[in-house]
Amino acid sequence: MNKTALVVDDSPTMRQMVALTLSNAGFTVVEAEDGKDAVKKVAAGPKMDIVVTDLNMPEMDGISLIKELRKMAAFRFTPILMLTTESAADKKQAGKEAGATGWIVKPFNPELMLKVIAKVLPA
Amino acid sequence: MAWTGRRSRPLPQAAARQEGRSTIEGLLEHQKAWEAFAACAVSVIPVLKKQMEAVTQQTERASMDLMVHIRAMTSPATTSRPTDTSANLSKIVMAMQFQDITQQKLEHVAQALDQWHKHLHALLKGPHDERAKQEIAALQRLEQSYTMEEERRLHAAALVPDYQEPVPMETEQMEAESESVTLF
Repeated sequence: MNKTALVVDDSPTMRQMVALTLSNAGFTVVEAEDGKDAVKKVAAGPKMDIVVTDLNMPEMDGISLIKELRKMAAFRFTPILMLTTESAADKKQAGKEAGATGWIVKPFNPELMLKVIAKVLPA
Repeated sequence: MAWTGRRSRPLPQAAARQEGRSTIEGLLEHQKAWEAFAACAVSVIPVLKKQMEAVTQQTERASMDLMVHIRAMTSPATTSRPTDTSANLSKIVMAMQFQDITQQKLEHVAQALDQWHKHLHALLKGPHDERAKQEIAALQRLEQSYTMEEERRLHAAALVPDYQEPVPMETEQMEAESESVTLF
């Protein structure tokens, strides 16, 4: 697989767990510690095929990050998954309105996450 | 011998009465502000205690899960079946995420304690201090800082005496797993 994933989370352990799951599945992984760092990395880095982001982060949260990414032509149709402990319906709605493709509640099951990614990734 | 020291002039009766009244009013306001603080403390302390107990339980559960799945993964029966190894690895990754979850829960407890500290600080300046009222109002909105359903549930349950946190069952975990993904 020649696909690149952007993993955004302020928790280094969480980031590494997601990165490990994705790299084991063949993805090249770019990590960012919050929304602001993610925006900086996508401006300088390669094209991303999928984004997995946390919701609550310092500097720039996940919802604001999605809004920023959706403004960029390269991210208009990129699948963006929110990975968070938050499961409230109003937050999910806010994510949907911002342009998230899906919502995964932590703790995530790596096998389930890969199935979801396979479903949302364009063939 | 004649007394030569300066003698304070007696206050007129009306002014003395007025001064007495404002002192009592001040004391009553003080009492009201501290009573509001005490009422808030009475409801918030059990909530914070419950949230911290939940963290301990979750840590214990995660360590137990890790041990069980590592043992299963290293047993000769499992190592020969790649699907079992992969399933156990997934369970290990899930259990290891307790760190992120408990960190968030403890951050919310710390936020509440900070808010409390600010409130006490403002209260010591006197009941008229507008910030004291704002800080206590913020503390009463503690629920808004939660990000997890479990925290909200525990908050409500902590206000009920003799509440016992239910032990999660395997079937509930499986249902929760399928509910953990939403595609828009």
